[in-house]
Amino acid sequence: MSVLSKAAYFWRSAAGGLKHSPFVHFIAVSTIAIALFAAGLARGASHVVDNLLASLGGEVEVTLYLAPQLGEDEVHGVHTRVVELSHGEVTVVPPEAALKRLRSELGDLGEALSELPENPLPATLELRVPEARRSPAALAALAKELRALPGVTGVDYGEAAVERLSAIARALSFGALVALVVVLGTTIVIVAATLQLAIYSRREEIEIQKLVGATDRFVKAPFLLEGLLQGLLGALLAVGGLWLFGRLLGPTLGSLFAFLLGPGVAAPWVETRTALELLAAGCALGLGGSFVAVGRFLRV
Amino acid sequence: MIQFFHVYKAYPGDPPVLQDINLNVEKGEFVFLTGPSGAGKTTLLKLIFCGEKATKGQILVGGKNIARIRESAVPYLRRNIGVVFQDFKLLPHRSVADNVGFTLDVLGVPRPEAREKVLRMLKRVGLEHKANSLPLRLSGGEQQRVVIARALVNDPTILLADEPTGNLDPALTVEIMDLLTDINIRGTTVMVATHDATLLSRYQKRTVRLERGLIVSDEDGVKAARRMLV
Repeated sequence: MSVLSKAAYFWRSAAGGLKHSPFVHFIAVSTIAIALFAAGLARGASHVVDNLLASLGGEVEVTLYLAPQLGEDEVHGVHTRVVELSHGEVTVVPPEAALKRLRSELGDLGEALSELPENPLPATLELRVPEARRSPAALAALAKELRALPGVTGVDYGEAAVERLSAIARALSFGALVALVVVLGTTIVIVAATLQLAIYSRREEIEIQKLVGATDRFVKAPFLLEGLLQGLLGALLAVGGLWLFGRLLGPTLGSLFAFLLGPGVAAPWVETRTALELLAAGCALGLGGSFVAVGRFLRV
Repeated sequence: MIQFFHVYKAYPGDPPVLQDINLNVEKGEFVFLTGPSGAGKTTLLKLIFCGEKATKGQILVGGKNIARIRESAVPYLRRNIGVVFQDFKLLPHRSVADNVGFTLDVLGVPRPEAREKVLRMLKRVGLEHKANSLPLRLSGGEQQRVVIARALVNDPTILLADEPTGNLDPALTVEIMDLLTDINIRGTTVMVATHDATLLSRYQKRTVRLERGLIVSDEDGVKAARRMLV
């Protein structure tokens, strides 16, 4: 009974603390809400970048140039080896088909190709790489294996483009991580500062609590709960804000960037999992801030 | 109940506040602690409820040596000691009942039970009709009675009062002292720090006199009162 009564007291005291200095707590809750809203948006944006990379990665194709003297059976043999090595889809493009494609790509200039005494293009194999082997390292390793095959004179997979795209993705992830750490760290400092003010404004109460026999934990618990409540309120505001953002601006942004993202790529949106993560992060931020404040300013 | 053995208290750079204090207060006793301002009365009371730590010597409270008590055990010691402060230390934005019930909140007493105890205690100090008032709307004497109610609501075995009548007029002083005497009659050990000589002669209780941190006399009530009259 005593534990329940104490728990009830802690909640009453924490809620009373929020009511006691509403402006100070408003600042803390707003800071948490803004930080988590930004984190939620960054999360949505990172989904978009991931989708974009996946869609671009889907276009990664390896072209194998075969020696001109290869006969049909030998081309078939190389085709089989490439399928075995890559586990991807392999299409044979004979020299005639390659010439036809080039002619159509050149448009009006394509007529000039008719003047050539013979078809200079070799037969090629076009390999659509399976998803598991689309990373730059895996592609490089596969290309090395393919180059070593007899009858293959060259392998091209847009090495530079793949490397650049991956570098951009890595830089974005690192930048987002740094920004997240800075924002969350700042938020904890602000929450701690607001709780310091709350502790200061209730110093008389704390002094009397200690004099009538309150333990350190008893004195600290309401402030930790206050931080937790701040975090929870801030996270609820952030989730609400993201939901509104997704509802009001999501479709507009999706159509604005459709040329870049393609029709299948979703705009930032708060899903159940993200919402739960943000709520957990809010609680962690609030508790983190209150731990700092209680540890530094409530040496009872 | 309270024993001091060669207790010293000093702050760095200052002359000692208490020197070689030896004192024995029996269970259920009423003791006045008197002396001029700065004699060390408040410090002596603080040592009993661990508001300060002795520089040297041993102090036993209820058989426990508080000179060696762990920091984490101090709250549990304080739950057996009610303290009445000269400056009241009431929370101005909380009702009288909430102020008195504050001690019970700390102990985790369920609300209905706490409410009952608080009202009973307020009745005992004659303030049951002011349960929902704010402290600042009460007179000085009423505020002091709230403090006494807060100190007694969890039935402590010891009550320490530091100049409990210091801010009160003579009529209210008598009112508060009668209340403390009544509490003592019911079995609580009471120590009152005061420099008011009229209290000593009126109530004729054991009187310990401090001067410059030393106990200069320890007399029973009649003897002390007689000396006051000389």
